Amino acid sequence: MNKSKRYPGYFASGALIIYFVFFFLPGIIGVGYSFTDWSAYSDKLHFVGFQNFKTVFSSDENYMKIIFNTLWFTLVTTVLKNVIGLILALLLTKSIKFLNLHRGIVFMPSVLSTLIIGMIFKSILDPKSGLFNSFLRSVGLGMLAQKWLVSSELAFGSVMAVDIWRGVGYIMTILIAGLLSISTDYYEAASIDGADGWQKFRYITFPLILPTLATTTVLNVIYGLKVFDMVYALTNGGPGKATTEVLYTAVFKKFGTGQYAVGTALSSVMFVIMIFVGIYMIRIMTKNEVEE
Amino acid sequence: MKKKIMASLLSLSVAMGMLAGCGQSAAPGAAPAASEPAAAKDTAPAADSAGSGDDVTITFMASQDWIQDAEMELGKKFTEETGIKVDYQIVPSDQYESLLMTKINAGECTDIFGGQSSQFSIVTQFDVEKNAVDLSNESWAKNVDPAAAVELSAGGKLYGQPIQDVSACWAVAYNIALFDKLGLKIPTNYAEFCDVCEKIKAEGIIPIYECVSDGWHHVCWTEAAVAATQADPSYPDKLNNNQATFEGNKELTTMFSQLKEMADKGYMGDNYMSNEYADAPASIASGEYAMVLYNQGLGAEVNAADPSFPEDNIGYFVNPLCDNQALNVNYCGPSRFIFSGSKNIDAAKKYLEFMASDDSLAYMTENVGKFNQLPYSNAPSAYSKVVQDFYDRYPNKVAVFQASVKYYNPAWMDIGADMSAMFLGEMTPEEVLKDIDKLRAEQAAAASDPAWK
Repeated sequence: MNKSKRYPGYFASGALIIYFVFFFLPGIIGVGYSFTDWSAYSDKLHFVGFQNFKTVFSSDENYMKIIFNTLWFTLVTTVLKNVIGLILALLLTKSIKFLNLHRGIVFMPSVLSTLIIGMIFKSILDPKSGLFNSFLRSVGLGMLAQKWLVSSELAFGSVMAVDIWRGVGYIMTILIAGLLSISTDYYEAASIDGADGWQKFRYITFPLILPTLATTTVLNVIYGLKVFDMVYALTNGGPGKATTEVLYTAVFKKFGTGQYAVGTALSSVMFVIMIFVGIYMIRIMTKNEVEE
Repeated sequence: MKKKIMASLLSLSVAMGMLAGCGQSAAPGAAPAASEPAAAKDTAPAADSAGSGDDVTITFMASQDWIQDAEMELGKKFTEETGIKVDYQIVPSDQYESLLMTKINAGECTDIFGGQSSQFSIVTQFDVEKNAVDLSNESWAKNVDPAAAVELSAGGKLYGQPIQDVSACWAVAYNIALFDKLGLKIPTNYAEFCDVCEKIKAEGIIPIYECVSDGWHHVCWTEAAVAATQADPSYPDKLNNNQATFEGNKELTTMFSQLKEMADKGYMGDNYMSNEYADAPASIASGEYAMVLYNQGLGAEVNAADPSFPEDNIGYFVNPLCDNQALNVNYCGPSRFIFSGSKNIDAAKKYLEFMASDDSLAYMTENVGKFNQLPYSNAPSAYSKVVQDFYDRYPNKVAVFQASVKYYNPAWMDIGADMSAMFLGEMTPEEVLKDIDKLRAEQAAAASDPAWK
């Protein structure tokens, strides 16, 4: 590009200052607080070194499980939302009747409030009177009726399933846009060459939809690592000690009980994890792009 | 290469976004400014806002079941009389404590907030001297029952106003007609209680309605810890001075073990983990369940759920865990506090004054089944024969841990989570007790309690 046509660097200064003051600086201060005994019970602040990090990594605590839960939630929901979203996108780019109605129905959960969805599903998944178990019993599948949100084996899976149901329509919509941008010329040429449906998907659709999939993956990973409202509304981290606890519900509770320092230490640990995840994701995404 | 740098910056920005919420614009050192005497804030900001009531809306946040329909009706009358509107914000009980403490700690609480009274936790948890308004000089303050006032006072000043009847205690409420039909007698120890449960279960009725999902109700069973106080009256003091622990206490170990046993034997049915407290009256009215741990207002509530179920068909006996036969009294209960950072302090004071008036207390007693004797000298008494019989049957009264042991009440929801894990088999009763010690130690350390140094 002609250098004289580039905007000067100071044009970005406004945005950079706002970003630095409102995001970067509080973030760094947050990391700083994780080395103190900051709490709601005392106005005094003391440096305690790595004490809070020792607590976070202690085998007596549940924090490692909470971090694992967060990463597991992110992995499972990202993979399944992408896979199911792609299948739905492929189906809903065909010539079928009431196409927009189908798309609208799948997309609709994404525009509903997560808290409302959580409360509705809490009722739907009630083991005794919930709609889901009642339906299973009414069609003779009573043996499949479970304690979806109050059993330690099923609760986390149920939370993830509801979240996937909520988010898959959004991912599908992005992927539909990606699919529609692929020129039909490729498919026509492939048909002339005798390619079957799977081969068209494998050698045309999939490579060309990859950049869009990379975008949806980033969106899902960011959402998954920051998930709060869905878990909060469905189980509030329970049943039991930390069955479905994720990072932000734990930080919220720590702040609620006034133990700010441990809360910030927990966030700092997640900060490091996010840097690694972020760099790794960006590297994969930009691997095949041409460098300037 | 530039793209890679940009990409790295992007990923950093995503991560920074995660942390941004953890910082605070004001350094902790600035906290004393927020803790300047509440009295200073009492007058200045409120004087211009609460005089006529024009366009003043006070916000009142409380846990589910703390604000009764009758109070909201009175709120409408209050608005008619003063022009001050009341915005009630009712929060699900399992989420209330976290939300309240976050709001208080962030300095963004509602004008009035509901909180459990306790002479210990209102200081260690709410820090009322900093976060609440001194109500000692309000016209109604002198009417508050002295025993309840103690639990709402710090440094000789009254900071809260009781909402509920604190004479009521958590006792086992039972279906009298069912007991008569099955020839059952009120149990006087745990073994007899198990016999009663077995006989009820044999009839195809679930003996006990329990609701773990609310997060707090099943913890009420631990009020049987009065048995530990009876075994050693100095035990609460030893706990408060960090000279004793929960772990290893014989009565407390028995109490949690028996509770787990009750769940394992099916006395609570299959759905106790997902049942909700709000459904208790209807569940008893339906005949599906025979007993529930409740306060002394269940009869009226069951009758409201099903008018064919007589109000006096509900009787009470004390929580029989650990063979307890003492009345577990607790002068602590949900109370109203005015947030010191409120801009509508005078309007909020007017609301509290209105709620403590003779007419309002009479209205609340008349219209809320579980309110028999609100803790005010100007409140009427409405004990039914069944309730009076219950209180007369247990002359021995012992204060519950919620009132007598430091850092127990603030850990209530965490103890609830531990007990939930115990029911699921993830923790043993001994581990629950150990964790309670840990939770108390964390609170004590955060509060710089000298006994824990």
